[in-house]
Amino acid sequence: MEMVFENLKESIAKFFRSEKYEEAVNEFIKDLQKELVKSDVNLNLAFEITKKIKERALTQEPPVGVSRKEWFLSIVYEELVKLLGGDSKPSIKPARKPWIIMLVGLQGSGKTTTAAKLAYFYKLEGYKVGLVAADTFRPAAYDQLRQLGEQIGVPVYGDPSIEDAVEIASRGVKYFVEKGFEVVIIDTAGRHHKEEDLLEEMRLISSSVKPDEIILVIDGSIGQQAYNIAKKFHETTPIGSIIVTKLDGTAKGGGALSAVAATGAPIKFVGLGEKVEDFEVFKPSKLVGRVLGY
Amino acid sequence: IFSREKLESLIDELKLELVASDVAYEVAEEISSRLLKAVDEGLVRSREDLQRVLKNILIEVFEKAGSVDLLSVARANKPCKLVFLGVNGVGKTTTIAKIAVLLRDNGFKPLMVAADTFRAGAQEQLKIHSERTGIPVFTGKYGSDPASVAFDAIQFASSRGFDALLIDTAGRMHVDIDLVNELKKVVRVVKPHFKILVVDALTGNDAIEQARFFNEAVGVDGVIVTKVDAYEQGGVPLSIAYILGKPVIYAGVGQGYKDLKPFNVYEYVNRILPDLES
Ligand SMILES: Nc1nc2c(ncn2[C@@H]2O[C@H](COP(=O)(O)OP(=O)(O)OP(=O)(O)O)[C@@H](O)[C@H]2O)c(=O)[nH]1
Ligand SMILES: Nc1nc2c(ncn2[C@@H]2O[C@H](COP(=O)(O)OP(=O)(O)OP(=O)(O)O)[C@@H](O)[C@H]2O)c(=O)[nH]1
Ligand SMILES: [K+]
Ligand SMILES: [Mg+2]
Ligand SMILES: [Mg+2]
Repeated sequence: MEMVFENLKESIAKFFRSEKYEEAVNEFIKDLQKELVKSDVNLNLAFEITKKIKERALTQEPPVGVSRKEWFLSIVYEELVKLLGGDSKPSIKPARKPWIIMLVGLQGSGKTTTAAKLAYFYKLEGYKVGLVAADTFRPAAYDQLRQLGEQIGVPVYGDPSIEDAVEIASRGVKYFVEKGFEVVIIDTAGRHHKEEDLLEEMRLISSSVKPDEIILVIDGSIGQQAYNIAKKFHETTPIGSIIVTKLDGTAKGGGALSAVAATGAPIKFVGLGEKVEDFEVFKPSKLVGRVLGY
Repeated sequence: IFSREKLESLIDELKLELVASDVAYEVAEEISSRLLKAVDEGLVRSREDLQRVLKNILIEVFEKAGSVDLLSVARANKPCKLVFLGVNGVGKTTTIAKIAVLLRDNGFKPLMVAADTFRAGAQEQLKIHSERTGIPVFTGKYGSDPASVAFDAIQFASSRGFDALLIDTAGRMHVDIDLVNELKKVVRVVKPHFKILVVDALTGNDAIEQARFFNEAVGVDGVIVTKVDAYEQGGVPLSIAYILGKPVIYAGVGQGYKDLKPFNVYEYVNRILPDLES
C-alpha cells in the first residue's frame, strides 16, 4: 500500500503533516488529479474519480480503530480498483464451446500479436485453438499471423486472395467449428474512430460471425483519446473485454482506465513484450499501482 | 483589464485544455509558467493578450526546433541514408513506403531496406509495399543481424545507382537495453545522414519519454508524427518539438502512400490553440 503511492509520497507526507483534515484532503485530491492525468487517465474521468473520493472522505466515518487519514488513503485505492471492476480475477474461462473471440482496435495497437498470445494461452490451458486472419487491409497481415501460428503450433485460416474480410471471417469460423475447435480467435484490421467505412466492416464481421466475445486491444501508451475511441468502438460492436498491450515500456496505462470507464468492459489480459509468452492475466491492483507510481 | 487572480485562473484553464489535447503534462506546466511570467512582466491584461502570448510561445517552440527539407537532405548526400526508429506499431514501415514514394516522385531512385528481421511478417510487409509501389526493397533473413542487412544494402545500393536508402528498423521499447544497443549498432554501421523518429499521434505522456530515450541513445534529427488523421488537434508534435528541440517534418494522415503531409506549424498551432470563450 505504501509502495503503491510512490509518486505521491510527498503528497502523502504533506497530508499527514497537515493539521486540518478537510484542507489536507483538498490538497491531496489536487495532487492525485495531477498524478492521474500524468498517467494518461482521461481528464474528466480523473475529476469524476477524485470528486467521488472527496465526497466519501468528507461525509463517511472511518471504521473503529482506524485513523481518519489512514482510512482516506484506503478510499483512494479502493475507488480506483473499483473503477477497474474490483480486485477479483477476471473470468477467462470460455463459458461454452466453441467460443468465438474477435479482436478489434486501432492501427498498430497489437491485435495480431495479441491474437497469437491469446491462442497460445488457451492452447496451454488445454483448448483446441484456431486463428482466423481476417485483416485484408494491412500488407502482409496474413503472413504475420501465419508465422506466429507456426511458432506456437496453432493453425491459421486465411486466404490473401480474398479481399472481403467478412467472407474470410465467416469461412474461417465455419472451418474451425466444423472441425471441432473449441476456441476460435479472429484477427481484424486496425481502424480508428473516424474511419466510418472500416467501422462498418467491423460491424459486418461481427454480425456475420456472431462472436461470443469482442475484445478491444488497446495500446498502454494511448493518451486522452482512449475514452472517445473506446466509446466509439463499443457503440459499433459491444466490447466484452479489454486487453492492454505494451506495458513493458514506460507508459503508465491510464488510458486503459478510460477505456474501461467508456465501455464498462473489464481488462482481462496485459501484454508485456513482443514474445508470445509476454502475456499475463490482469490484476486491477497492479494497474492502479502503476498509475499511482508503483 | 483582468486582475492577476483572474488571469491565473485563465492560465490554469488553458493548461488543462492543453493537457486535454495530450500536450505532455510537463510541457503544459512549463508553458503555463511562461504565461504567468508574461503576466508578471505586465504583458498580459486581457483574455486576448493571453491567447496572443500563448500563440507566440507555441510558434517559438517550433521556430527554435528549426525546419528541415528532407528532399534537400536527400539531394545533398549521395546516396542519402535515412534510418527510421520508434517504439512498436507507431507506423515506421508504412511511413518508409510513403517517403519512398515521395522521393521517387521527386526524381530520386530510392531503395527500401527491410532491416526488421525480428517481427513476424515484417519482411513480407515491406515486400508487398515494394510490389505495390514498384520501388525496390532489399530484404534480410529473419533472425539475422539488422546491422549487417543494412550494411549489405548499402553495398548493393552503391553498385546499382540507388541514391536514397530508407532503412526500416524493428519497433522496440526505448527501455529495452539489448534492443537499444542493437539500434546503436545499426546507426554505427550505417552512419545515416538523417535519423527519423516516428511517433503515434494518439500517444499520451509517454511521447516525450520515447523522444528523450531515443534521442539519448542514437540522436534524433527529425520527427514524423503518424495517425494524425485519427487526432488532428493532438498535442504530440508540440510536446516533442518542445522537449527535443528538433523539427516535426511530416504528418502521416492515413494508410495510403499519399497520406503524408509536410508539417505546417501555423496550421497546427491554430488547431491546438485553446479557445478561451468562458
Ligand atoms: N513491446 C511490446 N510490443 C508489443 C506488444 N504487443 C504487441 N507489440 C508490438 O507492437 C507492434 C504492433 O503489433 P501488431 O500485433 O502488428 O499490431 P496490430 O494491432 O495487429 O496492427 P495492425 O494490424 O496494423 O492494426 C509489433 O511490433 C508487435 O511486436 C507488447 O505487449 N509489448
Ligand atoms: N490511420 C493511419 N494509420 C497508419 C498511419 N501510419 C501507419 N498506420 C497504420 O498503423 C499500423 C502499423 O504500421 P506499421 O508501419 O506496421 O508500424 P511499425 O512502426 O512499422 O510497426 P512495428 O514494425 O511492428 O514496430 C498499420 O496498420 C498501418 O497501416 C497513419 O498515418 N494513419
Ligand atoms: K501505438
Ligand atoms: Mg494486425
Ligand atoms: Mg515495422
